[in-house]
Amino acid sequence: MVRPPQIIPYGDSALLMQFMSDGYSRDVIRTVQAMSSELRADPDWIEVVSGYDSLLLEFDPLKLDPVAAEGKLINLVNGFKPGQVPTGRLVEIPVYYGGKDGPDMQLIMDAAGLGESEVISLHSAREYLVCMMGFIPGFAFLSAAHDRLYHPRHETPRGRVPAGSVGIGGWQTGIYGLESPGGWQIIGRTDITIFDATRDEPFYLSAGDRVKFVPATRGSAKG
Amino acid sequence: MIEVLQSGTRATLQDSGRRGHRSRGIPASGAADRLSFAVANWMVGNVWNTPAIECVLGGQHFRFHQDTLIGLAGAEMWAQVNGQNVTNYTAFPVEKGDILTLSFSRQGCRAYITVPGGFNGHTFLGSVSTYLPAGLGGIEGRALKVGDHFQIHPVKRNPRKLPPGYRATFSNHIVLRTRPGPEFEDLTQESQRHLFINPFIATRNTNRMGARLRGNRISMRTYEDMTSGPLLPGTLQVPADSQPVLAMTDAHCTGGYPRVLQVITADYWLLGQVRPGSKVSFQRCFSRDAIDILKRRTAFYRSLMDGFSF
Repeated sequence: MVRPPQIIPYGDSALLMQFMSDGYSRDVIRTVQAMSSELRADPDWIEVVSGYDSLLLEFDPLKLDPVAAEGKLINLVNGFKPGQVPTGRLVEIPVYYGGKDGPDMQLIMDAAGLGESEVISLHSAREYLVCMMGFIPGFAFLSAAHDRLYHPRHETPRGRVPAGSVGIGGWQTGIYGLESPGGWQIIGRTDITIFDATRDEPFYLSAGDRVKFVPATRGSAKG
Repeated sequence: MIEVLQSGTRATLQDSGRRGHRSRGIPASGAADRLSFAVANWMVGNVWNTPAIECVLGGQHFRFHQDTLIGLAGAEMWAQVNGQNVTNYTAFPVEKGDILTLSFSRQGCRAYITVPGGFNGHTFLGSVSTYLPAGLGGIEGRALKVGDHFQIHPVKRNPRKLPPGYRATFSNHIVLRTRPGPEFEDLTQESQRHLFINPFIATRNTNRMGARLRGNRISMRTYEDMTSGPLLPGTLQVPADSQPVLAMTDAHCTGGYPRVLQVITADYWLLGQVRPGSKVSFQRCFSRDAIDILKRRTAFYRSLMDGFSF
């Protein structure tokens, strides 16, 4: 059961809906995604940014008084029916696990006491939800990986993580949309360009999408 | 045509930014000091949000291959045309062959150069603003370099004289009015006071993404591993090492550190003038005051520039 969120002012032109949950909660994530699709339909909200357990709403205080903005959110929360769960599109992403593509695979195998094929099947069995995009363009924060794959981030981030890298950070799993510095444990990589500014549709994934990783092997899929 | 002879500390093409894409990980970017950027445009007869060159700390030199008009505003960089001083916050004509030089700024961080009709750059999501971490907008998504040149519109316009009161004033002590951030209450009592007592110093890790500050240690009551959540520019975050970070216009859209203060919208332009070594002080502001200030300041600037927004 999802408890109603707290509504917290964030500066003079934004409100934050903060849900209370201990770490990862699938119910909270689904509620956040369902609410954000409803809020996006309302032009009073300039930006609707979803997180794992929170939702940021930006408004123009010259057009919408902050007190009125808060009132609108309270109404939404009160009238919200928990059953309203969006079914985002399902996106399959081929991943080359391990080897050069997944330099931290051994670390995860050792920590979990699993063989490579078991890690791969645990990681690719689950259907993930895209919870949040950012910190860099195209980085997809996905819902929780299997408990046995839990692993903290590197204490010192890598200077360079290639675009398309698939990693584990604590209970989270995610995809680096761009080459960047990063601290996640990298277990594989996809050839799909998650973010490409020159494409008509620069973004391959959006918050609310469902993601399924499909193990791939070098040489067969890639000519 | 205008040619870049020296790119100085750094120079990028900026407009008012691409808003509305934070949910996809794209920060708004845009001129870090919107006020100076806007008046630099007004002085050459442009709409306030026309693309301009944002010059960081000085050292930039430009050669003009045609007659045009130049607008200059922002940090005082002791600009000269062919060795003759020109005045900041004015627009002035230049002739074919003239060289404009910016010297090292001593107050503030960023100056804006405008021409009638603006500069052309690569548009991404409706804006030419350069966002270096992802190589978006601007010229090939990068900072200006020696040898770059821009075609400029052969528009004949007279310079406009900025009326009194519209010139932005700032020094190397930047005072920012703030509202509490979502995690303000999680600070220790002592840190809640310390935030507002002594100024912080912006370290050399100060750029368009953020300013790492040095000063009183700011501590949370408990330091739990926070779940990453949405982050706005103008937010003061507190990492585990107790030295706060001020998010700027190119900041990441999400963050995992407690968000303890938020700069009011009307003071947001001042972030663009924070430079390494600046003192940065925070003041409390009541909620209704933040909105009143925003309304008054917006109306004041809109009386000069249609549609201006902070």
